[in-house]
Amino acid sequence: MLDLFTIFSKGGIVLWYFQGVNQVLTEPVNALIKTVILQERGSVSSFQHGSLTLEYKLDNEFELIFVVAYQKILQLSYIDKFIDDVRREFRDKYAQDLRDGNVMRDFDFTEEFQRLLKKAEASAKNQAKQPRQMRTFEESQKSQKSVASLKVDKKKEKEKENVGKKKGKAPPEPAPPAAVINGGTVNTGGGGGGEGQDTIQRNREEFFKKMTGKGSKKNIGTSPKPEKEKEKKKGKAPTKWAHGGSSKDAKILDFSGDKESNGTMAGEEDLGDTEVRNEFVGDLYEEEEEEEDDDEEEIQQKDSKKSSGFGVFNMFKGLVGQKTVTAEAMAPVLDKMKDHLIGKNVAADIADQLCTSVATKLEGRVLGTFSGVTSTIRQAIRDSLVQILTPKRRIDILRDVMEAKSQNRPYTITFCGVNGVGKSTNLAKICFWLVENGFRVLIAACDTFRAGAVEQLRTHARRMAALHPPEHHSGVKMVQLYEKGYGKDAAGIAMEAINFAREQRIDVVLVDTAGRMQDNEPLMRALSKLIKVNQPELVLFVGEALVGNDSVDQLTKFNQALADFSSMENPRLIDGILLTKFDTIDDKVGAAISMTYTTGQPVVFVGTGQTYTDLKALNVQAVVNALLK
Amino acid sequence: MPDASVADMLDPAVIVPVLVALLVVVLTAVILKFVFGGRSSRNAVLLVGLCDSGKTTLFGQLTERKSVKTHTSIKKNQGTYNLQEGKKGSLQLVDLPGHERLRLLNVDEHKTAAKAIVYLLDSSTFQRDLRDIAEFLYILLVDAALAKAPFLIVCNKQDMTLAKSEKVVKGMLEKEINMLRVTRQAALEGTDGSSGNNNTFLGRKDKDFEFTQLQQQVAFVECSCLEGKLNITGVEDWINNIG
Repeated sequence: MLDLFTIFSKGGIVLWYFQGVNQVLTEPVNALIKTVILQERGSVSSFQHGSLTLEYKLDNEFELIFVVAYQKILQLSYIDKFIDDVRREFRDKYAQDLRDGNVMRDFDFTEEFQRLLKKAEASAKNQAKQPRQMRTFEESQKSQKSVASLKVDKKKEKEKENVGKKKGKAPPEPAPPAAVINGGTVNTGGGGGGEGQDTIQRNREEFFKKMTGKGSKKNIGTSPKPEKEKEKKKGKAPTKWAHGGSSKDAKILDFSGDKESNGTMAGEEDLGDTEVRNEFVGDLYEEEEEEEDDDEEEIQQKDSKKSSGFGVFNMFKGLVGQKTVTAEAMAPVLDKMKDHLIGKNVAADIADQLCTSVATKLEGRVLGTFSGVTSTIRQAIRDSLVQILTPKRRIDILRDVMEAKSQNRPYTITFCGVNGVGKSTNLAKICFWLVENGFRVLIAACDTFRAGAVEQLRTHARRMAALHPPEHHSGVKMVQLYEKGYGKDAAGIAMEAINFAREQRIDVVLVDTAGRMQDNEPLMRALSKLIKVNQPELVLFVGEALVGNDSVDQLTKFNQALADFSSMENPRLIDGILLTKFDTIDDKVGAAISMTYTTGQPVVFVGTGQTYTDLKALNVQAVVNALLK
Repeated sequence: MPDASVADMLDPAVIVPVLVALLVVVLTAVILKFVFGGRSSRNAVLLVGLCDSGKTTLFGQLTERKSVKTHTSIKKNQGTYNLQEGKKGSLQLVDLPGHERLRLLNVDEHKTAAKAIVYLLDSSTFQRDLRDIAEFLYILLVDAALAKAPFLIVCNKQDMTLAKSEKVVKGMLEKEINMLRVTRQAALEGTDGSSGNNNTFLGRKDKDFEFTQLQQQVAFVECSCLEGKLNITGVEDWINNIG
């Protein structure tokens, strides 16, 4: 049923593979590597490519990657555990070779693989066969209302010890008839004057209720209810909506658990039964707890004895050699790094995903001598930040303009973004740079809404024409403005401008659009139409470096709108990012990370001021240094 | 009195030990420099190139004479290549990932230890990827740390029907770099003021670019790593000459 199972090293050499079909399957695996692993989306463990679903796991100790591919329509639930089993067996069998780094020898793993596959498939079939048993009333939540309030969580035991004991004593009294009578008689016998009246009243009521049988249960039900309500009022947990939320909610919303480990239901039922049993043996319940406490203490003492047994050597062992990175060791460091990144204006969601992906990459890795967990994590985060910021395609606007010129068509750049980020200003800067390098530019004023937009561009065009008059460039105008006033359709103006540029043999067309909020559907539709009709070579999203968490929202919604309203199979999405107002942030450069992570597209230009020369390219090392300072 | 102290200093019993000590120090410094300084700091041959150009496959052939199945590398592979044709010794062979996001990081890590660069390219998709290939090659040629390293440009995948020959590849690369050196010089500077171009202009300004104008030695060779049509003799000969 599996199409492919490969084990390959992080250096790319395939150690062993199993192929269930005859076609070549290197392409989906390469796509998986390029999309998921290299884009730091490590928190996603499954990936769809064409008709296949691919799942993968990293082994950081021996630098291996395990990939499974199967048809998308099959929904195999045993894959996760299966990969773990295969991984364990493979490591056990070839531990020595892997440690030596001898990856090019012949690995023979077919028999073990087939055996594990059969086992996994068999267990999946068994689970599927088991019909869901209907719960009996005793097992259901309703009958446990009395017991639920009894449940003393071991973690909160110390806090609620006194409260718990009181609770534990009050409700169990009515249930066991024998105990009640004893309790009642003892109370009435022993109680004093005032106190006795109340207790007598209460016990009489309980006595009558006990006689009626079922009524007692209801009574028990009512008394813990106000307590339960109080508990509820204390904390109002946010609702987890099924169709919204972020990737973090995926675990909570996943209702497809195995029947055996069916969330907390089974656990509660089991605990409920033992609780009910225990209350009949009241004292013994407390004793049992004490015994378990003792057991825990003993185990802890044993552990501490073990660790302290090697004494002197233990200290050296900590410094040198075989430490592996564990999730618990990484958690506090990663939290600190996450807070640090958020402090540098990286969006909270992005920082979280980044830290999770670094954790996946490092878990289980063996640390070298003299390197601690903190320094390893720091280095890994640095590497992933550099990876995110490094462009995944070549950026050379001048070369591309030359290419378009040789094909007799104008190179079109469209600027889009929300209001007030600096589209027109940076358009002028880019125009200046292109003119300085000898290209003829046409500015298309497609912002037909904002007052003064056309005049602003006209002023820029005049200024640049004064700096580069036609006399200096063999009689041709270097900068021209194409405008049709206010209120007209932006897509139409852009199309006319591009046609004009083609006729006049103008090299570059810069299209300025109106600023729009990402939630404004009619405006997003208009933008999508402009881009679909004119098919510019470069769609630049202009974002300011001051933006915080909103950057993620802006970019996702812009991309979403361009994809949805385009009605094409391969819609044109945002191709690059223009980061503006970079001079206003000192070293809080996190917006660059948020934007490149969300889209996967590079930062093409950086605007650092209001004059024509304040246009720079992003220096990746400098930004990462500023982020990790 | 100053005369007395000078006379004390010029006393042979004092001068000779001082001179001997100085001599020993100087000799030790020279020896150390000789041993650790020049020779063994650069002994790695880097295998670089675009994604899917066949670097890991070539690496497998050169180090272990094995035809390995590969996927996109995300980490480097290191191995030793034993020199042949009577030469003794070995070279470190480092196969660096070609993916755009990883390549520069890895090259920066290893360029100081690089003795020679082997640049692979896929001859069958050369036309389509010409600009990317040329840009990466340009970045390597311009790098200060690699100013003296010899380059070998390997036209790989010659077994494919549409593979271009080395002459065609050389001509097209020269034309492309001719244009690139102008656009890269005009590129914007970085946010911290650094220029990405290292302030160099490859070749001669007045003439069209040719590989012979460069400081480094650049050689071209054809190669094929497909099982059954294996032909890596050109690459091996060149590496042997370097070692």
